[in-house]
Amino acid sequence: MSFTQNKETKEAEEALVREFQAGNLDAYDKIAEIYQKKIYALSFNLTRNQMDAQDVTQEVLLTLFKKAHTFQGKSAFSSWVYRITLNASYMKLRSKKKEPNVSLEDLLPSYNSSGYQQDKIQDWSENTESFLFANETREVIQKAVDQLPEKEKVVFILRDGEGLSTEKVSDILELTIPAVKSRLHRARLFLRKKLSPYFEEYGSRREKK
Amino acid sequence: MICCKECLDMLSEYLDGDLDAKASADLDEHFQDCPPCIAFLNTFKTSTSLCRETLRQVDVPEVVQKKMKEFIDQQKQNKG
Repeated sequence: MSFTQNKETKEAEEALVREFQAGNLDAYDKIAEIYQKKIYALSFNLTRNQMDAQDVTQEVLLTLFKKAHTFQGKSAFSSWVYRITLNASYMKLRSKKKEPNVSLEDLLPSYNSSGYQQDKIQDWSENTESFLFANETREVIQKAVDQLPEKEKVVFILRDGEGLSTEKVSDILELTIPAVKSRLHRARLFLRKKLSPYFEEYGSRREKK
Repeated sequence: MICCKECLDMLSEYLDGDLDAKASADLDEHFQDCPPCIAFLNTFKTSTSLCRETLRQVDVPEVVQKKMKEFIDQQKQNKG
């Protein structure tokens, strides 16, 4: 689901927040309805765990309920919600043992001294339609995303997963626009390289059939 | 003509439509003469979109939706 927030949505949401701040509890229902899925999806993509994502969603909804009156409107309400969700998800992850991240540098393209590609590139992009329907593929992809270094992972999940704009992600993470773009690009390069062996093999398995 | 590195460094911006016309044309020109970069472009596009679709498939399970509804109602009651 794409979530590029336009001006009207932003204003409508902020009107709901003001109503809730003024004591209208039904406005809270609507706020919770708008954000529940976004909070859950973001948290699930970060923690990869249903119970954790459920805990985080509940915690964030409670924070919104208790702290909405402290929201000043300096940045967008949605940015505030995303930031609370990220913090709560990171708290969950901190308490767990983590697989070490793979070095991102090793998975970037390699070039010769004139800047030409050195890797042999096999084009496996044809016949990928059936990939999405395979649970196996989904697991392989989720695992690869999981192995992204933290800085790149959060940008990738917000930009490509949540469908937020570069500007929005820069606001949420308090990063410059070039920093968001560079992390997103590195994440995509990492994922392409990481997933290539699987898709190459998948292609040859299909051919044999 | 730009080299592979310059081309691949700009690939995300190229696909996201963030490049100006000149830079975009430079990439197009490079692709015309560089099959490895075309293969890179195709696989980059495909892996990016498969990852994107996978992340977007997350749905809130019904049991969680129900729990959240109860939780919200409870909060409102406590306050009301």
